Amino acid sequence: MHFVSFTMASLSEEVLLVVKKVRQKKQDGTLYLMAERIAWGPEGKDRFTVSHSYSDIRCQKISPDGKAKVQLQLVLHTGESTTFHFANESTSRKDWEAAKELLQQLLPKFKKKANKELEEKNKMLQEDPVLFQLYKDLVVSQVISAEEFWANRLGGINNGESAACENKQEVGISGAFLADIRPQTDGCNGLRYNLTADIIESIFRTYPAVKQKYKENVPHNLTEKEFWTRFFQSHYFHRDRISTGTQDIFSECARQDEKGLKSLVTQGVKNPMVDLLSLEDKTLDEGYGISSALPSTSHASRTVKESSNFAIIKRFNHHSAMVLAAGSRKRDVPADQASETSSTDGNSRDSDFFQPPLKKVKLQEAIEYEDLQQENRPKTVALNLKKSDRYAHGPVPLQSQQYTTSQDIINSVNYIKHEMSNYKPNLTQVLSSAAASSAIAALSPGGVLMQQVAQQAINQMVPTEIQAELKHLYVAAGELLRHFWTCFPVNTAFLEEKVTKMKSNLERFQITKLRPFQEKIQRQYLSTNLTGHLECMLQAAYSKFHIWQTRRMMRKT
Amino acid sequence: MKLNIDGLLVYFPYDYIYPEQYSYMLELKRTLDAKGHGVLEMPSGTGKTISLLSLIVAYQRAFPLEVTKLIYCSRTVPEIEKVVEELRKLMEFYAKETEEVNNFLALALSSRKNLCIHPEVSSLRFGKEVDGKCHSLTASYVRAQRHGNPNQPVCRFYEEFDAVGRQVPLPAGVYNLDDLKDLGRRKGWCPYYLARYSILHANIVVYSYHYLLDPKIADLVSKELAKKSVVVFDEAHNIDNVCIDSMSVNITRRTLDRCQNNVDTLQNTIQRIKETDAAKLREEYRRLVEGLKEANVARETDVYLANPVLPDEILKEAVPGSIRTAEHFVGFLRRFLEYLKSRLRVQHVVQESAPQFLKDIFDKVCIDRKPLRFCAERLQSLLRTLEITDISDFSAVTLISNFATLVSTYSQGFTIIIEPFEDRTPTIANPVLHFSCMDPSIAIKPVFQRFQSVIITSGTLSPVDIYPRILDFRPVTMASFTMTLARTCLCPLIVGRGNDQVALSSKFETREDFAVIRNYGNLLLEMSAVVPDGIVAFFTSYVYMENIVASWYEQGILENIQRNKLIFIETQDAAETSMALEKYQEACENGRGAILLSVARGKVSEGIDFVHHFGRAVIMFGVPYVYTQSRILKARLEYLRDQFQIRENDFLTFDAMRHAAQCVGRAIRGKTDYGLMIFADKRYARADKRGKLPRWIQEHINDGSLNLTVDEAVQLSKHFLRQMAQPFSQVDQLGLSLLTLEQLESPEMLKKIAQIAHQT
Repeated sequence: MHFVSFTMASLSEEVLLVVKKVRQKKQDGTLYLMAERIAWGPEGKDRFTVSHSYSDIRCQKISPDGKAKVQLQLVLHTGESTTFHFANESTSRKDWEAAKELLQQLLPKFKKKANKELEEKNKMLQEDPVLFQLYKDLVVSQVISAEEFWANRLGGINNGESAACENKQEVGISGAFLADIRPQTDGCNGLRYNLTADIIESIFRTYPAVKQKYKENVPHNLTEKEFWTRFFQSHYFHRDRISTGTQDIFSECARQDEKGLKSLVTQGVKNPMVDLLSLEDKTLDEGYGISSALPSTSHASRTVKESSNFAIIKRFNHHSAMVLAAGSRKRDVPADQASETSSTDGNSRDSDFFQPPLKKVKLQEAIEYEDLQQENRPKTVALNLKKSDRYAHGPVPLQSQQYTTSQDIINSVNYIKHEMSNYKPNLTQVLSSAAASSAIAALSPGGVLMQQVAQQAINQMVPTEIQAELKHLYVAAGELLRHFWTCFPVNTAFLEEKVTKMKSNLERFQITKLRPFQEKIQRQYLSTNLTGHLECMLQAAYSKFHIWQTRRMMRKT
Repeated sequence: MKLNIDGLLVYFPYDYIYPEQYSYMLELKRTLDAKGHGVLEMPSGTGKTISLLSLIVAYQRAFPLEVTKLIYCSRTVPEIEKVVEELRKLMEFYAKETEEVNNFLALALSSRKNLCIHPEVSSLRFGKEVDGKCHSLTASYVRAQRHGNPNQPVCRFYEEFDAVGRQVPLPAGVYNLDDLKDLGRRKGWCPYYLARYSILHANIVVYSYHYLLDPKIADLVSKELAKKSVVVFDEAHNIDNVCIDSMSVNITRRTLDRCQNNVDTLQNTIQRIKETDAAKLREEYRRLVEGLKEANVARETDVYLANPVLPDEILKEAVPGSIRTAEHFVGFLRRFLEYLKSRLRVQHVVQESAPQFLKDIFDKVCIDRKPLRFCAERLQSLLRTLEITDISDFSAVTLISNFATLVSTYSQGFTIIIEPFEDRTPTIANPVLHFSCMDPSIAIKPVFQRFQSVIITSGTLSPVDIYPRILDFRPVTMASFTMTLARTCLCPLIVGRGNDQVALSSKFETREDFAVIRNYGNLLLEMSAVVPDGIVAFFTSYVYMENIVASWYEQGILENIQRNKLIFIETQDAAETSMALEKYQEACENGRGAILLSVARGKVSEGIDFVHHFGRAVIMFGVPYVYTQSRILKARLEYLRDQFQIRENDFLTFDAMRHAAQCVGRAIRGKTDYGLMIFADKRYARADKRGKLPRWIQEHINDGSLNLTVDEAVQLSKHFLRQMAQPFSQVDQLGLSLLTLEQLESPEMLKKIAQIAHQT
């Protein structure tokens, strides 16, 4: 494989593979496989006539092995396809192989990304009807392009990825993943184990000790294949076999597991209701009681069969515990973080101390008869705050100038007192009685100035479908304006371009959406100015744009 | 609500009541009125405890002179704590309704291990260690030594309690174990001794069976409890075994070796004391001449609960002269020890009665019956005199002396079996002398005699008439209650055949049969695909489970089951099993679903409840017969036949069925709960087996589900589970299995309720 880095036009990309003498549409040319796209340019020209981003490619199709024409076809998501013919007589097969292999590695990576994005978008639209409407208003009606629409939303997705992850449930491990690798005899005294990436992943997640071993030994000491062969030969895999030798690399894993299990056991259980050790209140002293022929469990007296049975039972308990732990391991981490940050919400860590201990909760659960109680109201978790004021009021910045000293207050009171005592009505300069009474009339209910109050609320005057339409218009306009205003301050060429485009988008919106709506309501209603505010907002944006543009012009000149 | 139970005002801390609770209270009231004993079987999850407490508390309030105390005995620590919490609920209800200050004192008592707050002592892991360490800090002579030597460590909590704790009685209220500990920490008093002291004047005491049934403990703790008490044994289906266990002794070679060391230590200590403080020994001698008069007086005046180990007759006499001096007694112990050693050197199994043993010991080493009877008492006296700090070291010699007293006191009801080796390992010499009690009535007799009402109750006591026979008492009421149900929330199925028509059974002949094992595996596999969340499966014994698990593993059945659910298995290690249990619950909780393989008669089957999704199905593989080849069991069966006219098979079946019922009953813990009960053995279909199941299970077995194949059972289960998964609300139950006060008082309902109790 050649690793060439070369510059073409303005952009520099890492080129992973260059294959010469590749025909496309009966034209000879060169095929380039780059980090993010595949491209083909005709011979003797320095531009690509074909260029596909990997994420646009759905799959590659290859010609069968024996065929004379060595071809590779790329099928795009849009349904189009491009066919390359490897025409170099001597190395065509080899070139083809190399391109195919590389594509095989590259495509899944991009596919995942593309699919994930698509899924994410779909999900967002499904979950959020407002967004969906917006999408319909703006993208489907081609006010802005889909890319623009998603541009800063997907940013939100990526930033909020950690949040999304928390909601997303971690996929657990099948309890029977070891069963899926049941060996098959290959007919000649050998066993074949089928391993898939999923199974390996499961093994690693369930048995971290094996992963450790893998990291240590592969590929320095063992090849991958050897590693797994040894794994399946080891008694670690076949737990019913008794450990014989210690040269096995997995015996250490077994020991580690044993240790882990022991420490788990000695830790004891959290739930006192299942703690068998403290179940009995008073055990009989040694030597008392009917010893009901308990088979002695000391290792010495155990037969081989018994200890292998014992090993199986232990293995199952351990396996189930590990599978269970693997499923919940990931989730522990954010929970921990959350509890650490929780000290900012008015609860410090020691508040755990005030929570009823698990034992008490379990006891209450155990004695509860839900149907004997009057109501079965849903159980809610009580908000447990130590400092409720911290919760109710956010921290207020101290602003010294807003504070008035008591001296100030006394002074101002004195001042007012003083003013009041010296108050003399200036009777010559008051309103005439007629003007006064008309003013009172105007301010009384039904008067000229009080009409606003009597006016019906908009929701009673306007039919619902107009209201809904107006809402959509508002949302769409808000979205566009948001795009527009985010461009400021305009300090890059990209933003410059965007702000111009956005302005034209706004204008287009005004023409294609707002105008028809205005006409529509004019046909039905005359006086109410429903769209006045929208116009205002648009106008503000236009004037802003105008100012910016004139300034730019001035700077340029 | 406030109820009128046969003229008695009963406060019941709920807004609704189950009909069977009302019926249960009626029967209970009748028993208390008659001042007699009662056997009451009431299904689990129907609020038995709260009914008991409500009625007895009401009775105590109405007739404070008739019933002064309630002694509530339960089996496990969580059960004890649950009872106290229910009691707290009741008392809160009383306080709310009557608006007067309640002067009831109720408390739980448990062993030192659960109550100790001494930082060092309480950190010890085993109960025995805690007891021993506590004794070394609180024994009277240790504390006496402190006067001379201030460096002598004592327990400050005990000192504080001893100084001021007894002056003011514990204020009225409900004290659970944790409450006692909190109080102890606050006041600096020892919670254990505080509780032990307080039970004397408490209105309600909740503790474990052993405090009343095990003579070694009862003598310390419960001796002075008021005669006019009502004693309740809850979860009493195994009470006979508890009685037997507390009176049986096993002696191995190791016991004897340790005993030898103990005797040597005693000898040395006596020598030392003789040189330094001979007066002490003389004082003891004088006391022994006076005899055990004090104890005798106390028992005659009916202050003390009789101790079955310490028979009445010996209290009237002085300790015989031959063991009165310390050296003579130690010499006596040595002789006895040597004799026991010689008895353990046998090559074949020996079985003999107590009189035969006494005759032999007299012939061989000239030990008379009389000094043997005083052995336990004499040893206690010596240990006190010698100021032995750590009595837990002397457990071996205590055991031997208890054995001596028991064997010489009871000529009947006990058997001695000496086995030179274990049956399973005939090549390894491991001689054991079993001194087994075969008559549970011996241990419980003082309880029945002393207290005016003793109530034996449980979810599974069928057939109820057998308990009075084996415990040898005359109850005034015996009743079994059914469970009124608005929907049939339990579904007992008897699976007798595999899909290939092979009969399913755990009986000895087909135990190793692969076809049976495979079909059992199939049943579990099919069920794991149908039943949501948790399944609990019980096997008849641990060995059986191990074998089945191994062959399921080989046949790949377990791996297929793993596709549906995680598998957890009970082991003989309690800590390991606890962890497996917790993981099992976690797996049920997070929706993955799990299977717990467990053993009937094991700790799980006796003490752990599988409510709601923790147990949607219980599968009982086989009939859990006890291991019948044991000689002790054979002797006990013989005894039952001769003394109580109970046929061997009847008893064995009764015993097996009560354990099976216990196992399957674990899944149903209330009327809103539901679960499958699968009996996987064709023998369950027989009338003699089925008839011994509790009535509340029996009445839901219809004739169609007596001999199902695996497939049929799966179909029925699917149907049942689909029905049960429908929403079920309070309204559905109201009027049928859940009553308001008005509904309860309507005449036709009262008529219906009268049918719930099934008198025998």
